[in-house]
Amino acid sequence: MADKQFKKKISDALGNDVLRGALGRFGDAYIISREKAYEGYNFKEISDNIAEVKSYAASHLDEMIDQFEKAATERGAKVFRAMTGDDAKKYILEVAKRNNVKRVVKSKSMVSEEILLNKTLMAEGMDVQETDLGEWIVQLAGQHPSHMVMPAIHMTKEEVADVFSGHLHRLNQPVIAELVKTARVELRKSFIEADMGISGANMAIAETGTLIMLTNEGNGRLTSTLPPIHIFLVGIEKLVPEFEDATHILQALPRSATGQQITSYVSMVTGPTPAYYSDGTVKDKEFHIILMDNGRRKMYNDEKFKKTFQCIRCASCLNVCPAFQLVGGHVYGHIYTGGIGTILTNFLNSEKDAQNPQNLCLQCGKCSEVCPGKLDIPQMILEMRNRIGAKEGLPFTQKFALDVVSNRRLFHSLLRMASVAQKPFTKGQPVIRHLPMFLSGLTEKKSLPAVAKVPFRDVFKTIKQDVKNPKGKIALYAGCLIDFVYPKIGEGVIGALNEKGYEVIFPDGQSCCGAPATYMGDRSNARKCAIMNIEALEAEKVDYVVSACPTCTHALKESFKELLHDDPALATRAEELSKKSKDFSKLLFDLGGLTPGGDGIPMKVTYHDSCHLKRSMGVYTEPRKILTDTAGVQLIEMKESDRCCGFAGSYSIKFPELSGPILERKLRNIEESGADVVVVDCPGCLMQISGGLDKQNPKVKVVHTAELLLEKRKVKENRKK
Amino acid sequence: MKNDETNELYKRFKAKLELVAGECYRVNTAIEAGELVCKVLGEKGIQNVALLDASISKKGDFANLIEKKGITVYTDHFREVTPEAQAGITQVNYAIAELGTLVQADADANVDQRLCSTLVPIHIALVSTVSLIASLKETMATLHGLPRIPGFVGFITGPSRTSDIERVLTIGVHGPKQLVVVFVDEETGEVA
Repeated sequence: MADKQFKKKISDALGNDVLRGALGRFGDAYIISREKAYEGYNFKEISDNIAEVKSYAASHLDEMIDQFEKAATERGAKVFRAMTGDDAKKYILEVAKRNNVKRVVKSKSMVSEEILLNKTLMAEGMDVQETDLGEWIVQLAGQHPSHMVMPAIHMTKEEVADVFSGHLHRLNQPVIAELVKTARVELRKSFIEADMGISGANMAIAETGTLIMLTNEGNGRLTSTLPPIHIFLVGIEKLVPEFEDATHILQALPRSATGQQITSYVSMVTGPTPAYYSDGTVKDKEFHIILMDNGRRKMYNDEKFKKTFQCIRCASCLNVCPAFQLVGGHVYGHIYTGGIGTILTNFLNSEKDAQNPQNLCLQCGKCSEVCPGKLDIPQMILEMRNRIGAKEGLPFTQKFALDVVSNRRLFHSLLRMASVAQKPFTKGQPVIRHLPMFLSGLTEKKSLPAVAKVPFRDVFKTIKQDVKNPKGKIALYAGCLIDFVYPKIGEGVIGALNEKGYEVIFPDGQSCCGAPATYMGDRSNARKCAIMNIEALEAEKVDYVVSACPTCTHALKESFKELLHDDPALATRAEELSKKSKDFSKLLFDLGGLTPGGDGIPMKVTYHDSCHLKRSMGVYTEPRKILTDTAGVQLIEMKESDRCCGFAGSYSIKFPELSGPILERKLRNIEESGADVVVVDCPGCLMQISGGLDKQNPKVKVVHTAELLLEKRKVKENRKK
Repeated sequence: MKNDETNELYKRFKAKLELVAGECYRVNTAIEAGELVCKVLGEKGIQNVALLDASISKKGDFANLIEKKGITVYTDHFREVTPEAQAGITQVNYAIAELGTLVQADADANVDQRLCSTLVPIHIALVSTVSLIASLKETMATLHGLPRIPGFVGFITGPSRTSDIERVLTIGVHGPKQLVVVFVDEETGEVA
């Protein structure tokens, strides 16, 4: 759970209009320029290639390091293997002292930030200049980079001008071209005078001992051209087996990082090159390469985090992250920010440092979709969450809630009680608009739905199923929201499946799918829920198991298997359930869909893709086909239809201040589409979006696909009287 | 003019380079290249230029040609002159059509090559049209196929740029503000 101090950082960041403006503008432009940069290129093929060469390097790490060292040494480089950041700093300091170094220029190196190298060198009286413009600004301002690729994205030109004025003791106007010119002049002096250059690398080629740097400003070129001593400080994850393997990363890195086809400069350095010495002679420079571990190997040896080696540090995961876009990098607390940064912080700094920021992940999966290294960042963050949950336990209130949820009888009787107890809040309306005091954050931006008077499990008994030419039997898994809040969705599911010739049964012993426990890092309660539902649903006895909540479907298909993999008997049953489980839209589509028809009354609808349905299950054309097969429905696509609505289960309770603005963006896109109805396939999204619309735009309705079918096809008139 | 394939590569290179604010020309002979460079220097009001002589500039007698225009030509002591020189002329080894990228890959990693192309505000790059390579992939294969990877391989795509302040694109940070590329069809031999 996020602590108070962390919450304060979030509210400060949210209050910073400059930051939000810059991040927002960049985020919007980034998506377009990235897409354009990849035009005519096969992103999947490029990322497959990257994953292949990097995973090879990861699983042959010792071999890679030996090979690199041999090749680089043959070319005249001195290679040092640093186990820790302190080892690296000690080595650099020794080189500097031996050569009586006074002035150091650095070109962008996140690794040196990671180990706080500048502090060490400056403590010894050396002048150390960052030369990447963004890093220089951040250095002069006494701050940390807030983004891996754009370190000073959080600052305005006015702030930069102030920083320059303070540093140069003369007034600088907030004119960007002038500020850049000033930086050129000032840093040029540093380059010319520097005794030593320190730089990072984007790749280290094992085969040839080559280091490759990508920069736009030219600082990488100057750092490797002017000073007669050059030290490359490189994390071991930069290793790539062969020279031509670099092609894949060169194809992806600039496109994914900044939407460029290629950076202005790519510099490949193999061994020492000639340089001018202070006496005017030209000879080979003193050339060192430090390959640094500093916690990395521990990360790559961990089966669940091995793939972090495939990260090429493009930061595209930050750029598409709805949470990062709101709060920026500083909230993450350490050098590496965003989703990948949280994981790196966990291993390279400490688990404690990652504990707060990992909460920021919505689990929406957008980052995995754009990752050129094929990392499943949300899955890794979830694993961190599990480990924290297992080690430290959850706070009492959370734990209590999850214990209740995994106890079906208790949970369900509480829900039934809630439908009575909530009356003072709903004031007779179907939504709760206001909650008292400390819960008010929950309803500030949206209304909460009221718990249904009659849960679906009771409604079910009253539904008369009329199946002509029965083809088989389907078990309906309702999930909490359909069971207790939106029973209408369940009715729609039954109506549609009956029409396809299937009888639908409702196994009574079913309960919560365990997703809340899973996403809060409580594996033991998640496991209890898995067993309970496997036993209740008895997948062996039906043709399919249908769920109309993609989060639940994901649990049935994926999580249960994973949670029970160590119990052979249950694992077999989980596998059977996984195979038979389908999300409603997908199942209806796979069964051939309904024959086109409906009431024909014109209805302008727009479709919101749920994160789990689109990205976990790859289902997004199917529901659209179901909609357009319904007479009267006109489908209008909204902007960013697959962008998270901000619900993300307990996220909206943990971070209403983030969930709120994410929802607002969704609402804006809905409004701009001009549709009268938003169709969703996830009751969670339904709850989130309808809550927001109820407050801001009550004319627009939100319905589940199954509800829409119920309404437009009038298949509902089959209730027993 | 060369065959269709070369024309096609050149067209692609030029289009890509112009997208990143570079200037691109193509001439038949080294002499014509010299004349073009004189014209460009004149138009930009250049008074002195660092010239790292190579096959094209030698064949085109650049040094004499430029000096005749009243422009000072530096041909040595590059460490002292390039920080102040108004422009630099170098020849590069390859050009990648796919990206509009120039490739410096001297076998001896000559430091002057980098000084004359990085410290100056205007870089004029000469390149033999025959050294156009279609793609990045083929370029990497070409470099890999050399007797050994040169100590310094530099890809240059347009002028130096930054968007570090408020994400506003600004041309010309540490490297040149202008990049002028001149393709020469006449074969003049290796760069050096």
